[in-house]
Amino acid sequence: MYGLKAISIYNGWAMAFAGALIVFSGLVVLSLVISQLHKVLMFFEKKSAAVQSCPEIPVVEPSEDGFGCLLPEPFPADLNEIVELYTPLVETLGESFCLSELYEILRKNNFPHPHLTLTALRESKILIPDGDGVFTWNPPTEHDDNKLDEG
Amino acid sequence: MDLLFQFLSNTGYYLADYRNVIMIVVGSVFLYLGTAKHYEPLLLVPIGFGILVGNVPFFKGFGLGIYENNSVLHYLYFGVVTGLYPSIIFLGLGAMTDFSSLLARPVLMLLGAAAQMGIFFTLLGALALGFLPKEAASIAIIGGADGPTSIFLTAKLAPHLIGPIAIAAYSYMALIPVIQPPIMRLLTTRKERLIHMAELRLVSKKERIIFPAVGLFLCCFLAPASIPLLGTFFFGNFLKECGVTDRLAQTARTAIIDTATIFLGITVGASTQGDVFLTTKSVGIFFLGAVAFSIATASGVIFAKIMNFFLKDKINPLLGAAGVSAVPGSAREVHLVGQSEDPENYLLMHAMACNSSGVIGSAICAGILWSFLVGF
Repeated sequence: MYGLKAISIYNGWAMAFAGALIVFSGLVVLSLVISQLHKVLMFFEKKSAAVQSCPEIPVVEPSEDGFGCLLPEPFPADLNEIVELYTPLVETLGESFCLSELYEILRKNNFPHPHLTLTALRESKILIPDGDGVFTWNPPTEHDDNKLDEG
Repeated sequence: MDLLFQFLSNTGYYLADYRNVIMIVVGSVFLYLGTAKHYEPLLLVPIGFGILVGNVPFFKGFGLGIYENNSVLHYLYFGVVTGLYPSIIFLGLGAMTDFSSLLARPVLMLLGAAAQMGIFFTLLGALALGFLPKEAASIAIIGGADGPTSIFLTAKLAPHLIGPIAIAAYSYMALIPVIQPPIMRLLTTRKERLIHMAELRLVSKKERIIFPAVGLFLCCFLAPASIPLLGTFFFGNFLKECGVTDRLAQTARTAIIDTATIFLGITVGASTQGDVFLTTKSVGIFFLGAVAFSIATASGVIFAKIMNFFLKDKINPLLGAAGVSAVPGSAREVHLVGQSEDPENYLLMHAMACNSSGVIGSAICAGILWSFLVGF
């Protein structure tokens, strides 16, 4: 048996329609649930934080390589200052590296606002994409420094 | 002298027919594509060599061939016909998969759902071409672009078609760089291909730990027939994320998945004995497999374009092509097509989100089709 007749006899239309509907609704529900997951977790975290009547002020311990304690809390406005702080870290990663690796190091060393800083470095061509998600570090030269200062 | 003639008449050279030769050429092409062109070498090399092994002519009745009881290959093939190897491979896949990008942008999961439409369109096409419902469903699952899922469902519904369906599924997965880019370019404008995706938020460890449990409950309760695949998949992911079973996760994503892939590859290859494989049905399966794969790619891309009508943060429609579950081939291809338009457009992480939702989607489809047809 062939053609539309075969589809009808074997209940093909119903199978295709119901199958598509089930898989779609299943994944829609899953995506809805996971989109709310972080909010639910945050709610419980806030709740447990509120239970602690007198929270201790966290003391930022300097990390092993000592970068953690050098940094100012607000987002550093001066790009030269950022470059100066980041260069020793980047050197530990080698010539080419993934942003995720750099991000991980920044987070471990309690650098403030790593996302914003990495974006700023990319925009100012200090982090240069090499393709395939790999980046190289291109700190500004003295001439560039002047330009950055002017900027 | 008689002994010598008897021996010669039992050699492969004497017993070979043209079908064995054709299949040996096919196996050689697989080996060439895998080794020289680096097209999915981890799959094509074991399958290609399996095709060579399976097509060495032999004297039937010696317990040598994969379809003969008590042969070594027959025992190894047990893992294919029972769905054991696909289940083990899913364990390893789960232990490899990082769901962070999917958790950061859950809306991308819809692209994984949209790409499964290829499966259901092909189901209709296969029925119209005269395949029986169980055969049609096994062929249709090729549209999910997931080798282990295709083998699993075919083993359950139409075991006599495992060889051609597995070969078709893996061939099309290997040919992703050839099949997908023209469809992506055809269905998108340059402006759309240039869309940059918003940076993903950081996903907490707790979210990543909870996700496999949530996924298991939602997907496996919806389609319990997908438990053999999704149960091990989410278990593998939990091993990876929970942080206390690193050794197990490491073994699952290396030694275990590699072992299963080797045995699956060589036995699926060996199951393509010329006299069993070269039939008109196989030609139909290859044709429908290409249709399924193309429709799956196209429906993902088209759905992404439709989503853009409603989204404030537009998504790059190329990502729809990664909704098929060929991990990570299709994600890589989406990234490369995006970069060919703009070298600073990084779509890989976003495409991996669609890819991993495609894996879940195709496994759910397999479960649904199995439960529809189990009593047919």
